[in-house]
Amino acid sequence: MFSSINSRAIVPVACAVTGFVIACCVLLYTFVKEDLVKGEIQHAADLADTVIKSTRYAMLKDDRETLSNIIISIGEQNQVEHVRIFNKKGLIMLSRDPREVDRFIDKSAAGCTECHAGPVPKRSLGTMDQARQFTNQKGRDVLAITAPIYNEPECSNAACHFHDAGQSLLGTLDIGVSQTPLKQTLGHLQNRMIMFSGMVLVLTVGAVCAVLYSQVFLPIKKLVDFTEASQGDILDDDFPEVSGEMARLADAFQKMNSRVRDLERRDKAKGSESTSPESLL
Amino acid sequence: MSQAGPHPEVQPVPGREDLRLRIEARIRRMERASLYGLWSMVLFLLVSFAAYDGFSIFPALTEDAHKFLGAPPPGEMISLALVVYAFSSIVRTLARMSRNIQPYMGLMHAAFFAAFYAFYHLSGILQDNFWAVFFAGISVMGLENYYLWSHSSAAVRKERALLDSMRRNGDEERG
Repeated sequence: MFSSINSRAIVPVACAVTGFVIACCVLLYTFVKEDLVKGEIQHAADLADTVIKSTRYAMLKDDRETLSNIIISIGEQNQVEHVRIFNKKGLIMLSRDPREVDRFIDKSAAGCTECHAGPVPKRSLGTMDQARQFTNQKGRDVLAITAPIYNEPECSNAACHFHDAGQSLLGTLDIGVSQTPLKQTLGHLQNRMIMFSGMVLVLTVGAVCAVLYSQVFLPIKKLVDFTEASQGDILDDDFPEVSGEMARLADAFQKMNSRVRDLERRDKAKGSESTSPESLL
Repeated sequence: MSQAGPHPEVQPVPGREDLRLRIEARIRRMERASLYGLWSMVLFLLVSFAAYDGFSIFPALTEDAHKFLGAPPPGEMISLALVVYAFSSIVRTLARMSRNIQPYMGLMHAAFFAAFYAFYHLSGILQDNFWAVFFAGISVMGLENYYLWSHSSAAVRKERALLDSMRRNGDEERG
């Protein structure tokens, strides 16, 4: 299989190009995926921030009904999987799903451990650390953000209720958005990259094969046939148009063949002279 | 050849016998070299197999070991290093092929790609980048092994032809 010059020239090129292109495509896909996920996390963090700012006035007024309506309206938005606000103890105060209200959050669950891993919970987290990805009970991939609701002077000074100035954290907003559109985008990207890589590979290996075949393999094959058959002084008309070393080689073959045939003719002539009746006399 | 039978009147030439033994030793050495290539490939595949499973066959690193090793390098830097290493290795192997230089670096490549797996594993992003390391390794080591195999095969063929020619000359002298 690997004895012919064709395979020995093409296999290493195909092997090296294929492996390298696939490796680069996998890395490129990973980079793009990472960037898209970071963008999605930033988008979810901005959404959480918007929710906190939208509910701020209702919280200051301790208007539970308005708060509940805002949370339900946001939760009904397309792609929002869950929205809930729980207090410092982890008791869910407001949620899109009414069944969750007045139940405790599991602090050992994904998303809570970022702050509650140690004996003293962390006060603040970066945007990327606030995010968690998981599959919910409905089997959907969710990207969730837990955004803390900090105590502000307006909160502790408000006449309506009881937060003292020493309490730094009042509660946490937990909002989860569906990752289905992101997964679809990544799926499209993956398919396009596979197609693109396939086309690059076919074109690269195909171009190398075509050039090698027309400029090297075919002329060599014709020269080998010409040398073995030795039925003329010049190459056939179908000998490919070549230049450079291959043209010089073809020229040298023709000259050598011509000299050999000339020598053979002379040898025959000498032989016939020596065996003719005149020479025997 | 041995079928020619003994010719007690013709003494074997000591220099020729020595040369024959040296050629046979060279053939054996080249055949072993081809096998080294296969061993390094097997080693790489075994490491890849372990990496695919997240090195679960090894015990997890302790907190102290993590502290001793320090913070892992950023994923982008590891990926950049992988691309540069794979590209330069392929170029170097192709250059050696074009100049017909033999030195084989399969074991070194296997060690480097195992290190890439380890770095990705310690950075916690091995799952996303496994196939990149695997295909880069397969292409670099495949090319290296192909070159080693074709180079060794050609050299063994040449040595065997030399050996045959020596045997034929020896038979003619005896005959």
